[in-house]
Amino acid sequence: MKRGPSYIIASLTTPLSLLFVVYILTSGALVKYAIVGGMITLVASIGIQSAGDATFLRLQLRLQDLYVASRVSPTDYMLALTMSFLAFSIPGIIVYVSLGVLYNLYNLVDSLIMLSLIVLLIFSTAAISFIISSLIKHVRNVWGIVSVLSIIMTVIPPTFYPYTYIMSRNSGNIIIYLMSFSPATPAAILAQFAFGLQPVVYSTLYLMMSILLIETVIYFSIARYLTRWREI
Amino acid sequence: MSARITTIIGRNGAGKTTLLRILSTQLMPTSGKATIFGLDVVHQAKEIRKRIVSIPQEASTIGILTPMEQVSMYLVGRGFSTADARKATLDALEAVGLHEARNNPADTLSGGMKRKCFVAMALAANADVIFLDEPTTGLDPISRLEVWSAIKQLQGNIILTTHYMEEAEKLSEEVFLFESGSIIDRGTIKSLLKGFENKVRIESYRKMDNSFRVGTIYIRYVPQDEATRFIKEGDSVRKISLDDLFIMRGVDFES
Repeated sequence: MKRGPSYIIASLTTPLSLLFVVYILTSGALVKYAIVGGMITLVASIGIQSAGDATFLRLQLRLQDLYVASRVSPTDYMLALTMSFLAFSIPGIIVYVSLGVLYNLYNLVDSLIMLSLIVLLIFSTAAISFIISSLIKHVRNVWGIVSVLSIIMTVIPPTFYPYTYIMSRNSGNIIIYLMSFSPATPAAILAQFAFGLQPVVYSTLYLMMSILLIETVIYFSIARYLTRWREI
Repeated sequence: MSARITTIIGRNGAGKTTLLRILSTQLMPTSGKATIFGLDVVHQAKEIRKRIVSIPQEASTIGILTPMEQVSMYLVGRGFSTADARKATLDALEAVGLHEARNNPADTLSGGMKRKCFVAMALAANADVIFLDEPTTGLDPISRLEVWSAIKQLQGNIILTTHYMEEAEKLSEEVFLFESGSIIDRGTIKSLLKGFENKVRIESYRKMDNSFRVGTIYIRYVPQDEATRFIKEGDSVRKISLDDLFIMRGVDFES
C-alpha cells in the first residue's frame, strides 16, 4: 500500500464523490445511506476491479502459470488474491468507519454485521472478477469492461439511496431481483436494515441474506471452474 | 551436487513451449501420453506439481515487490513456513548474486536481475525437476552470462528450452533438437557434432563447389586447414556449433 498509494486513492474516489453529491443534493438527509453504501461500493468496486489485476497477473506477468506448477490449488490462488484485494480496501474502510463514528452510525452489533457483509462482498465480487478474468484473452480488454461493470454493479444498486425508492415503484420487486445479480444489492439492503436506516422487513431480510450467500457460493464455484488452471 | 541440464532446442514456433507446458501440467495434451517420474501428466498432475518448478518464458516480476518478497511469497505458496521461506530465499538470492539487491523493488532491477529472481525461486524451491522456458530471451550478453551462472547453481533435473545454440552448448549435458513438434535428434553436444570434427563452416554470397544455399548465403563445410583459402577470398569462416545441425537438416533457424 505504501508503494502504490494511487490505487487506494483511486478506489476511494467514486464513493467519496458520490457521498459529496448525495450530501449536496439531499441537504444531508441521505448522508447516512451514502456512508453505509459508500463502504459497500468501495469494497465491491475493489472486488470487481481486481479482474484487472487477476488478468494482468495471468496474462502479463504469468504469475498464475508459476503457481499452477506447484501445490497451490485454484482455490488457494483465488483466496490468496481475494485476501490481498481485501487488504487494499482497508484504508478506505477506515475512512468510512471514521465517517460512521462521526455520524453515530455504529455500535458493536452493527459493526459485526458490516464486517460479515464486507467479507461476503469481497468474496463474491472477487469471484466475479475471476470469472471475467478467465474469459479475457488480452489484458487490454479488461480495463474497459471492469470500469463499466464496476459502475453498474456498485453505483446503480441501492447503495447510495434507500432501497424502498425502487421497491415502492411499479415492478419494484422485479427490478430489485434483477439488480441482485450484483452482490452489492443484497449487501446494501442488509446494511440499511442493520444500521436502522430502514425498518426491518423480515421477508426481505431473509431473502437478501439467502441471495448474498447463494450468490457468493455460485460465483465462487463458477470462478473456480473457469479459472484456466490447466489450459485446454 | 550440480544439476543435470537437458536442453530442448528449436526455432521459434517449433513447439518447445507447448511441450514444456504439457510436461509441467499447465496445458492439456490433445493426444499422446507424457509422464514425469512415471506419473501421468493428465491424471496425476497433483502429485507431479509438488515435485516441479516451472518458470514460464514470459514470467515477469511484480514491480513493487522486492526479490526477497517475490521469492518468499512463492515459497510460502509452495508450502514453506514463513521462517523457512525467509531462510531459503536469503540463501537462494545469495547464490544467484542478488543478495545486495534483495530489498530493492523489482522495478529498479535490470532485466538480468529480474530473470535471476526467478532462478532464485527455482533454486529455493528445491524441486526434483525444474522447467525453464527460454530463460535468457531478450537479455543482453552480460545479463545472459549472469543468468547462466545463476542456472548453474540449480540442483536436480533441469529441462531448459532455448533457441540460442550457445546457451545449449554452455549449459547442457544432453540436447534434444526439436522441430514442428517432434524430436529430430538427441544426444550430448559432442555426439551430435560428431560428423563435424575438425571442420569449419564457410559462408559466402557466391556459389561454391559442394555448397548449399540457406536463404541468400551459400554454405560449405571444409576441413579446418582449408579455411585460410576461403578467408583470402573474402568468405566468412565459422566455428562449428549446434546451428550446423539445423543447417544440415535444411531448417531455417532464427537466432
